[in-house]
Amino acid sequence: MAEISPYSIVEKGAKLASDVVVGPFCYIGGSVKLGSGCVVENNVTIVGQTTIGEKNHIYPMAVIGQTLDGDENKGKCVIGSANNFREHSTIYAGTAKEPTRIGKNNLIMIACQVGAGTKMGDHGIFANCTHIADRAIIEDYVRTSAFSFVDSGIRVGAYTFTAGYVQVDHDAPPFAMIQGSPYRVRGVNTHNLKQCGFGEAEIRSLKRAFRDLYNGTGDLKQDVLKALAADKKANQYVKTLVSYLKSCKPKEADND
Amino acid sequence: MIECKTKSEIHPSARVAPDAKIGPFCVIGPDVTIGPGTVLGRRVTVTGNTTIGSGNIIGDGCVLGATPQDLKYRGADCLLVIGHNNRIGRNVTVHIGTEPGGYVTRIGDDNFLMEGVHVAHDCFVDNRVHLGRMVQLAGHILIQDGVVMDDMSGAHHFVTIGRYARVGRRTPVRRDVPPYTNFFTEDYGWTAPSVRGVHEAGITAADLKRDEELELRRTLSDLFEDESALQMKIEQLENMGVEGEAAALCEFCQRSLAGKFGRDRESYRGQVPPEAAAILSPEKLAEIQRNKK
Repeated sequence: MAEISPYSIVEKGAKLASDVVVGPFCYIGGSVKLGSGCVVENNVTIVGQTTIGEKNHIYPMAVIGQTLDGDENKGKCVIGSANNFREHSTIYAGTAKEPTRIGKNNLIMIACQVGAGTKMGDHGIFANCTHIADRAIIEDYVRTSAFSFVDSGIRVGAYTFTAGYVQVDHDAPPFAMIQGSPYRVRGVNTHNLKQCGFGEAEIRSLKRAFRDLYNGTGDLKQDVLKALAADKKANQYVKTLVSYLKSCKPKEADND
Repeated sequence: MIECKTKSEIHPSARVAPDAKIGPFCVIGPDVTIGPGTVLGRRVTVTGNTTIGSGNIIGDGCVLGATPQDLKYRGADCLLVIGHNNRIGRNVTVHIGTEPGGYVTRIGDDNFLMEGVHVAHDCFVDNRVHLGRMVQLAGHILIQDGVVMDDMSGAHHFVTIGRYARVGRRTPVRRDVPPYTNFFTEDYGWTAPSVRGVHEAGITAADLKRDEELELRRTLSDLFEDESALQMKIEQLENMGVEGEAAALCEFCQRSLAGKFGRDRESYRGQVPPEAAAILSPEKLAEIQRNKK
């Protein structure tokens, strides 16, 4: 039987695995499923049709599965295993058609917000006050700094690092370091790539590709992209980058 | 404040002063010490090896002494020490230290932390500091006396913010901020923020002697008219012979310039900084030394 504090409310119908720990003053709604090894500390709210996988750690004051339209039983949220949800983080629930999905091994730090219908990959680290708006797509191994803002419906590529105070207002490429508001591509996220086991030659080829494509600006050079796409000798990561950039929505022209 | 101990979970081994007031839905862990006259609002969580002094007012929803967000942390018994007469706003989060960072996070006396402030692992916040809304401090930071950080500013790890300096709103601080200066950004992240003039209110608050103040003002205007050739200007000033606060300012700038990325405290990476060594017991320090070997 799950270890539930007598001060907490767990509604009838909630499915908690046998070794789940729930601290005091929590509220867990009736359609919530918690996998084995989950630790829910105090003052946590989990509502809606939320499925949480194994070994997640949810810290005090986190709120998971709420919706903004008031009917919190309809919202749907699917969360993988071994994530950490730090204090005051908020995960909004999506709709049954388009649920909020979070992969595994993510660290979602203090006061982060993940919008409704967001699809988040694995192994991400999201620093304090990262605000991800609704229906965004965050790929694997993304690192964000404090006060990063991802606008709604925007994609952030795998292994990308966003500096502090970045507003990601159009699709961000993979493997990149981006900075500013609106953002510019500042280079390749070499530190993260090395940690993830990329070789020197691969990083060098990515660096060359980024230098040609962006040259320190936020604007993609389409002719260089075409030339890279035609290059048959490019390695798999450059190919990934090119195919990603081809599928991106183009940046909207500035009005001012 | 409603004293409502029946609806709070206070661990029996926590040392809470009899006249401390604990609001409803608070959770207080086993190794916590709370001093006399401290008021905790509603839904406050105090965990970890946390010592809170007397006369603090802690707002709703604060989480003090939780485990650091640092991946280096391996579950050691680290400390959070909060001094006296601090005002801590709603939803403030303060974490305990980490093993490689020196085991201690400390907040001094008479500080004012507004809503949503985060003080991370191994930070040292001295006295009379004002942190505005949502100020986010990364790990290993030293905030010296009388600093004002405006709303939504943030600091990179290992940064030092000098005495009575002011950081403007929404400013990312990536290097040391010299004492008694304004540190601002204008275009939100494309160019590095820089020193923009003297923090007048800071000089007033420091309450210096007249001669010392004049010398400090002269030094500040010499150094930060523009920030080029700072090293040369400092050497010139030191050859001329400066005293008191002005000399301290020159020394601060020199240390920052010598540090990696303009951050003096980078040299404490993986070491116990002197601020932590002053708090830790001699036995603990000896144990850390042994573990290193």
